Amino acid sequence: MADFVQLVILGLLAGGIYVAVGVGFGMVWGVLNIVNLSHGALVIIGGYITWQLFSALHIDPFLTLPVDAMALFVFGYLLQRGLINRIIRAPLLLTFLLTFGVNLVIVNILLLIFGSDFRSVTPSYSGQGIELGPIVIPYVSLFSLAVAIALSAALAFILNRTRIGLAINAIAADRDAGQLVGIDLRHAYAVTFGLGAACAGVAGGLIAMIQAITPTAGEPYTLQAFVVVILGGLGRVSATVVGGLAFGLVEAFGQSIPGSGSVFANAIAFGLMVLVLVTRPQGLLGRLR
Amino acid sequence: MIARAASIDRWRRLFVIVGAILVAYALLAPITSLDAAQSANVPLLADRLWFRIATIIAMFVVMATAWNIIGGITGYAAFGNVAFFGIGAYTTGMLVAKAKWPFLVALPLAPVVAAAFAALVGLPLLRLRGHYFAVASLGVGVAVGELVQNIDYNGQPVFGGASGLFLPIFAIDNRGLFFFYLMVAVAAVAIAVTWRVLRSRFGYGLIAIRENEEAAAVLGVNTTAYKVAAFALAAALTGLAGGIFSQWNVFINQDNAFPIEYNVQMILMALLGGTGTVFGPAAGAVLLQLLIQFLGGSLPISVDIPFVSVDARPIVAQVILGVLLVVVVIFVPRGVIDFFGGSSRLSWSYLRQSLRETSL
Repeated sequence: MADFVQLVILGLLAGGIYVAVGVGFGMVWGVLNIVNLSHGALVIIGGYITWQLFSALHIDPFLTLPVDAMALFVFGYLLQRGLINRIIRAPLLLTFLLTFGVNLVIVNILLLIFGSDFRSVTPSYSGQGIELGPIVIPYVSLFSLAVAIALSAALAFILNRTRIGLAINAIAADRDAGQLVGIDLRHAYAVTFGLGAACAGVAGGLIAMIQAITPTAGEPYTLQAFVVVILGGLGRVSATVVGGLAFGLVEAFGQSIPGSGSVFANAIAFGLMVLVLVTRPQGLLGRLR
Repeated sequence: MIARAASIDRWRRLFVIVGAILVAYALLAPITSLDAAQSANVPLLADRLWFRIATIIAMFVVMATAWNIIGGITGYAAFGNVAFFGIGAYTTGMLVAKAKWPFLVALPLAPVVAAAFAALVGLPLLRLRGHYFAVASLGVGVAVGELVQNIDYNGQPVFGGASGLFLPIFAIDNRGLFFFYLMVAVAAVAIAVTWRVLRSRFGYGLIAIRENEEAAAVLGVNTTAYKVAAFALAAALTGLAGGIFSQWNVFINQDNAFPIEYNVQMILMALLGGTGTVFGPAAGAVLLQLLIQFLGGSLPISVDIPFVSVDARPIVAQVILGVLLVVVVIFVPRGVIDFFGGSSRLSWSYLRQSLRETSL
């Protein structure tokens, strides 16, 4: 029983990371209709910023998260404005290839700057946790889950309560009508992508505390973000939160099956995704459009 | 207008002639390395390094041409075709290494197993469209590689596990030459199959699916059967290339039989050359693979990239490849065959127009 509870807790805590990785990706996909294959690379940029600030200036990693968010917002804004806006009306395959090209450039430039060494962020409280009898709740994972939920709430607030957020919602519903009522499409698209990148940056900061990162460590997160968004359902922040937590649980239980280990992580994730896509394409919480 | 058409025609003729000469040279030059040719004092025009590169190029011609059948002609953005390459490689590899079959008997099973697998996963996957199909197929590509490496039975890895699979060396004279011509033959088959498909009822059905799947269904195209057949055909050709690769390379593991980057490379090749055409993907494969080998420094003709150390060279090559990918996607989305093949010319206005067409 204690094992079961521990597994559920670890799954939900791991799910926090997937929520953080998934929300930005899902919003960009829902609004821009772009599956951003460079999302994982943006995540890792955030990870390296946190690592750099932590190891050079000894700033607490959780305090570096706003820096990650701001830096990646600017980067994402410029990326969308300069490149991705150029192919927004191109066939789907081209958007895939463009973002993959961006991914290739980012990852390899990071390799040139930081090399392929593993970097980890270990504040004094890493490895410690709350002990409730046989159950352990690690601090870092707990705070990460809290940050991920707060991040999702902030994103939902921006999308539903601010002027630019309403503009983003409007162009997601109908691009041409949005333009008719005077929304600056190029700017609104760039802000959307910037917000998505900012979420990726925060996720990267969290990931750097939980695992050692290398420039190539982001690629699995692109795929996992996709699975999370599919699982929850496209188009709503809350659906992605549910998708992320569900994915964390599935992964925790999948890895606990004797003899499977963590080597089948991708196979489990994709098996699950294909199952959801084929049986319930609108996601767990989504509505048919 | 007439003058312009005539100049395009001239361009096209020049392109065909130069291409034919290059292909003839690439096919005939390796013969000069035969002992008979050497003893007759024929100058050596190609050495082993060249065969190796030429064999890799032919392998990518097969993969890009095969991808074109599902991705270019049918319009389904398959991102996991490397799974078929790996399945072909492991089918032949297992039969030769574990069951001790002769290579030429084991090879025909590679496309059969790959096509059967494609039909099996294609039935559910091809119900998905757009992004969903692309990423689900990518997932299959990743998952198959992971399963092949990690499946154990009674504690023993079934497919060689992480240490991979070693095949006995195929005993034949002029082995490099044999595999080069075998791979070229498969490339020719792939191109011929594409040519035949594009002129058949089946091909028209696939194009109809690409342009509008509902309309195709209304016209009486059995869309499910056609899509699965196209997927299986692409898988068979890719699997055949994988089967040859396993015996040629003698060693296969997850990294060289299921390289995720091949997925994008074969698509970029088809795109660079021109999707949906017969020769476009092959031309793109030759161009891009030569470029990759050149940037990687493995061509005999090599140029130092300024300010880049030898160690950083492969990384810088990847950056250049990424930039190229971005530039091609933005400026020549219909592929170079669009202007070499004769429908338009490479000019500033062409580049501006392709930018305007897709820009916000």
